[in-house]
Amino acid sequence: MRRRYFLPLLGGAAASCRRSARRLYVYNWSEYVAPETIPGFEREFHAEVRYAEFESNEELLAKVFAGNSGWDVVFPSHYFIPPMVENGLLAPLDHARLPNLANLALASPPWDPRLAHCAPYMIGAAGILYNPKLMAEPASWNALWDPAVKGRITMLDDPADTLGAALKRASRSLNSTRPAELAHARDELIRQKPLVRAYLNAEARDQVMAGDLMAAHLWTTTSLQAIAEAEHLRFLYPREGFAEYCDCAVILRECRNPELAHDFVNYLLRPEVAARIAQHTATATANAAARRLLPPELRESEALYPSPETAARGEYFATLPAAAQQLRDRVWTEVKAA
Amino acid sequence: MKPRTWFLLPARTVMLLLFAVPMLIVAAYSLLTRGAYGGQGAPWTLANYARLLDPLYLEILLKSFWIAALATALCLLLGFPLALFIARARTRKTLWLALVTLPFWTSFLVRTYAWMFLLRDTGLINTILLGLGLISEPLPLLYNDAAVVLGLVYGYLPFTVLPIYAVLDRIGPELLEAAEDLGATPAQVVRRIVLPLARPGLLAGAVLVFVPCLGAYLTPDLMGGGKSILIGNVIQNQFTNARDWPFGAALSAVLMVIVMGLLLLVRRKTSEHGGLP
Repeated sequence: MRRRYFLPLLGGAAASCRRSARRLYVYNWSEYVAPETIPGFEREFHAEVRYAEFESNEELLAKVFAGNSGWDVVFPSHYFIPPMVENGLLAPLDHARLPNLANLALASPPWDPRLAHCAPYMIGAAGILYNPKLMAEPASWNALWDPAVKGRITMLDDPADTLGAALKRASRSLNSTRPAELAHARDELIRQKPLVRAYLNAEARDQVMAGDLMAAHLWTTTSLQAIAEAEHLRFLYPREGFAEYCDCAVILRECRNPELAHDFVNYLLRPEVAARIAQHTATATANAAARRLLPPELRESEALYPSPETAARGEYFATLPAAAQQLRDRVWTEVKAA
Repeated sequence: MKPRTWFLLPARTVMLLLFAVPMLIVAAYSLLTRGAYGGQGAPWTLANYARLLDPLYLEILLKSFWIAALATALCLLLGFPLALFIARARTRKTLWLALVTLPFWTSFLVRTYAWMFLLRDTGLINTILLGLGLISEPLPLLYNDAAVVLGLVYGYLPFTVLPIYAVLDRIGPELLEAAEDLGATPAQVVRRIVLPLARPGLLAGAVLVFVPCLGAYLTPDLMGGGKSILIGNVIQNQFTNARDWPFGAALSAVLMVIVMGLLLLVRRKTSEHGGLP
């Protein structure tokens, strides 16, 4: 991550010697472009990109919500787009400057149906990574509540994802704000807790690969990294449903060079550029034209691009009102303290 | 102004900027209202403090006290003999001291991960025990409260060794010799001469361990696998996932007041007995 952060800066320093005054400040998730993505844009558009990376939405929001963050193009997860619009942080997208928006598979996402402010970039989801040598296919979330898996599973250390899994198991919405439904999810997670070895995020990957774990509630990208190393592992989306999120490119209102920022977003939406990024990061691109250019093992991956029947069971996280966020946080704390 | 005032100005400025101002910011935030999507703003309110009365948070606070107290006791128990050994060593004193401080050369995070590699199912300890046939299933060494305490004791042990050593080093050998001459057994020397004289060092070490343990969040998260939550984790979560900075600030403020109260208590106790070093 450090290296990536540094190289564009060095490249940028060289470019500024050539008197290119066009500069773009881009703030993206770590490991979220291909190595040639940024240099390619700099060469073609005679611009200098100052590129830096963040590890969580909170890190991004803390900088951007104050205004005057200094960034031009940033990549929040989809559920932060409505509040960012509401707070006047985003510049409207000029579709005339973004012909490549037509390449998107997600042409009308629920959080911004007319793509007025965001260009969907990458899609992620959470399901179950499991070891078929140690357990039967966990077709339902119930498999992670089965006493037979005691001490051999992990759940995500993320309130939205893990409350979401418990809610989905009860055939409720991920985004439920109803106290009774949340109380039920809490009780079920507390009941499950003795079976759970730990609440882990990416660290669960190595333990599934090592055979320590039968299964882990995990994100697609992390799971595919594990499967790339240990081919006997499998990933699936439980039948009751699963959580999805989409990281999007947005242009901040404070952007000093909207023209260049639009060029950059349009460049990222090019099929060959987006395909390289999707291939390098092994993440699902929101770009349909790019998906067609991918090697078959990625293009046909059921984990990255679930079939329409599976996809229909996915639900996007929603932006929740403050009171609901507080209630859910308390419920999560109760699970952790139990 | 007197020259003395001028000389103190840099120190006072540093204290003000690095200690008083951040505390005031925390206090101010704790009285604000959370924004709908994070952030904070008007109106001023005491609601964040009212939320603290929830038994859930009191229970977590109690547990944090218990874990911090346990870690402190273990640190003292291990740190005192080690400090005594170094203080009484005839040679290589500098080497022993350097070894105690050696862990500080790498980041705490990396060292915690190293412990996780030792303790996990396929880690060194379980592999050896399995290899020797002493166990048939890996022991669950990681992801429980014991692992959390182990991580804390490991992380903060040097903070007890150093102040205790500083005090013990100043006890003249003639005192101990005199005690022995008067017929005290080695155990009596330690109990009646060394321990009372080491008291200020023990107290300083206890404070230096207890306070950071009380606010620890990294160790419970990594060694405890997120299965137990301490007050530090609740606070951290308010500033990250929950995006509720005012509530996080209120929790921090209360924790600071409790810690300060404890420190005052310790100070009063020690000033009765000759003060901290």
